[in-house]
Amino acid sequence: MTQTENLVKRLPNDIGGLPAEPIQRTDHELEPWEKRCHALADVLDFHKILNTEEKRCGVEALGSEMIGKLTYYERWIVAFANILFRKGILTPADLARKMAEVARRDRLPPVPRVDEPGP
Amino acid sequence: MSGQKQSRDQPYDHGHDHPHAEISQSERPGYYEIMETAVRELLIERKLIGADEIRRQIEVLDSRNPALGAKIVARAWVDPAFRARLLANGRAACEEFGITFYDDTLLIVLENTDKVHNLIVCTLCSCYPRPVLGLPPDWYKAKPYRARAVSEPRKVLAEFGTIIPDDVEVRVHDSTAMVRYLVLPKRPAGTENYSEEQLAALVTRDTMIGVVPATIDTGRKAP
Repeated sequence: MTQTENLVKRLPNDIGGLPAEPIQRTDHELEPWEKRCHALADVLDFHKILNTEEKRCGVEALGSEMIGKLTYYERWIVAFANILFRKGILTPADLARKMAEVARRDRLPPVPRVDEPGP
Repeated sequence: MSGQKQSRDQPYDHGHDHPHAEISQSERPGYYEIMETAVRELLIERKLIGADEIRRQIEVLDSRNPALGAKIVARAWVDPAFRARLLANGRAACEEFGITFYDDTLLIVLENTDKVHNLIVCTLCSCYPRPVLGLPPDWYKAKPYRARAVSEPRKVLAEFGTIIPDDVEVRVHDSTAMVRYLVLPKRPAGTENYSEEQLAALVTRDTMIGVVPATIDTGRKAP
């Protein structure tokens, strides 16, 4: 099987049965924002705005590079934003404006614009 | 919970095999946290969700942990009628027990016996019986467990120190968005005189995922 054929047959989440490393019994206490992110997902589900299946597809749609490099809840929040854009509930401009406001308000370093190179 | 930080290379294969640095708060500028705050506040401003709903759901999440599942298991060990109802309809029996399901999932309870050992996994993501066990450990969401549990469960179990005899069938159950599983471990020998509460103390998270058996010692070395 060619390398690209495998990419077609297996989306990034579809890893059941693949070879992998030994199990390491990792765990961590959720950061407060991670727990809020989880609660947000549940509340969006209660309001029929975003269900579990859409969440998984949203993560899958991030592509293998982001899936590999972002942590679990980082993937979630980015996927939620994309899904909310697609559903017309938020726009990227709304989010950029609000993130700049939150960063200023919470005295964090400014969020770089997406079209600017990162630090 | 070990309190160990989540490392970035756990969940998926991403084309290389070098170890990543441990992630600490100071290393991240908080970009994703800012995004979470911004998304939440925008949705609250537009009255699509309520601020109090997030707070309440955090309380719900904090109230769910493996001790709930352990109570269910202990009740099933001492009450054959409850056990039968639990195996017939996991969600209804848990609700009867006072555990509400905040999500739209079904629960199938899988009984370990002398002939069958059950193991649960979610190969696609991280589906887990959250209403009865709380949130899954990181290893459950990471690639090695998700990838290998379905193809070489005995080897995976051995890595948890669990050796299943060849004449016992191993059944692996792959969870979905709608259907979640919980393992009903075998009651350990030598617990005939234990109270329900003493029995519950032997039932850890990992016994209900199916990676370890419940033993007279399991409670002392949780999870």
